[in-house]
Amino acid sequence: MVMPLYIEKKPEVLITEEGIRTDGRKPRELRPIRMTVGVLDKADGSAFIEWGGNRILAAVFGPREVHPKHMILPDKALVRARYNMAPFSTPERKRPGPDRRSVELSKVIREALKPAIFAENYPGSVIDIFVEVLRSDAGTRVAGVNAASMALANAGISMRGLVAACAVGRVENFVICDLNHDEDMWGNADMPMAMLMESEEVTLLQIDGPMTESQFKEALELGRDSIRFLYEMQKEALKRPYQVIERSVKGDL
Amino acid sequence: MSESIILVKNKEIVVPGQPLAKGKLNLGKDVYRDKFGIIRAKKLGLVDVKEDNISIVPLSGVYIPREGDITIGIISKITGSTIIVDIRSPYQGAIPIPRGRAVERVNMRKYKLKLGDVLLAKVKAFDGSSSLLLTIDMEGLGKLEGGYLLEVDPAKVPRVIGKRQSMLSILRDKTRSELIVSNNGRIWVKTPSLKELLVLEKALRKIENESHISGLSDRTSSFLSQELSN
Repeated sequence: MVMPLYIEKKPEVLITEEGIRTDGRKPRELRPIRMTVGVLDKADGSAFIEWGGNRILAAVFGPREVHPKHMILPDKALVRARYNMAPFSTPERKRPGPDRRSVELSKVIREALKPAIFAENYPGSVIDIFVEVLRSDAGTRVAGVNAASMALANAGISMRGLVAACAVGRVENFVICDLNHDEDMWGNADMPMAMLMESEEVTLLQIDGPMTESQFKEALELGRDSIRFLYEMQKEALKRPYQVIERSVKGDL
Repeated sequence: MSESIILVKNKEIVVPGQPLAKGKLNLGKDVYRDKFGIIRAKKLGLVDVKEDNISIVPLSGVYIPREGDITIGIISKITGSTIIVDIRSPYQGAIPIPRGRAVERVNMRKYKLKLGDVLLAKVKAFDGSSSLLLTIDMEGLGKLEGGYLLEVDPAKVPRVIGKRQSMLSILRDKTRSELIVSNNGRIWVKTPSLKELLVLEKALRKIENESHISGLSDRTSSFLSQELSN
């Protein structure tokens, strides 16, 4: 018996003339997002993000002792990040372990978050960031950055500010935000970006596919707006557990 | 010139990077001034404004040692010249075993230290990155025998102690136990029976969870009375 293969088909229309996308969204509309912090008991800080079909868990350990010892930086904390996809996160089984893509994403996530951390406050220690993709549906790197940044704040690490991220891109003549799977696969351009919200500094910007100068400027502006919105969600999610306790305590009295 | 605008309420929960104030104010713990002169939070925590000082009371975090801190450590390694102590921090504590002077060696040996022993030790010197010297050679310090070891988040230690040790004396009196709270979040207790220990553990979790809400001492006090009367 032959196993049926998973075959992907390109949708006939990625975006209609009125600007309606394959999942019914408008060009400037995000997928539904939910953020939760403090989901892991054994980690110093953790966060879980549900973004469209993505389910991503982030855990932060540290500052803790550096192992192996030769990696110690005497004047600041070492920041390590690992992005990993679960074997069951994709339609077809993903071979477990690091591959080219996850090594690159680990680097990109680490570099997106590093400017936000006051590493000089913890010399000779290490901050470990783990991003585990449980279910993937386009835009996992930006969702991972959002979750990891919340996990860092949840761990009580000194930070300049939170980092929020969102992907923008182009399908035909439309500049769109938060690409879904079809747009990621068959769209014309894809541009994930992350910003350190304190100074609105861009800490991650990759681009895959052509855009004109005016489209790029429009995409950058759209990305900034989306990131500001995500930042507000992050703030709300970080404060929520404390507000829930406060409400239950005040209800008691 | 003391023009300053405070952008947040006192005791409000803020996230890292959130702007707190502008102008001339003294920076306390866990706040920083960005390049535009805006004072921002470094950590997730509660804003604490006192006169001209602004600081953050963090809600979580690891223990970073400071000179003079009292810590409770567990011996993790003994070599010929040093005793390595785990103090729940990114840095390992070291108690040197003096070489040469016979008197000191004998003095050190009198503690009869072995792997896994729990020590009450003081931070003698810390260079901020790697070398952390501890000492047990002082009145009241040394090996802790018997009792139980409980842990709380190091950021919550000031809550467990309370203003002028108010919370600590509530815990001590109500459970009729011996209690040592260390800066690194380890708490050594000797309770009259197991019941008090279990109640104490619950009370500590309650303090940890509700530390950001005012009236904590009163709530803990009534919680202890209620739990102990059952």
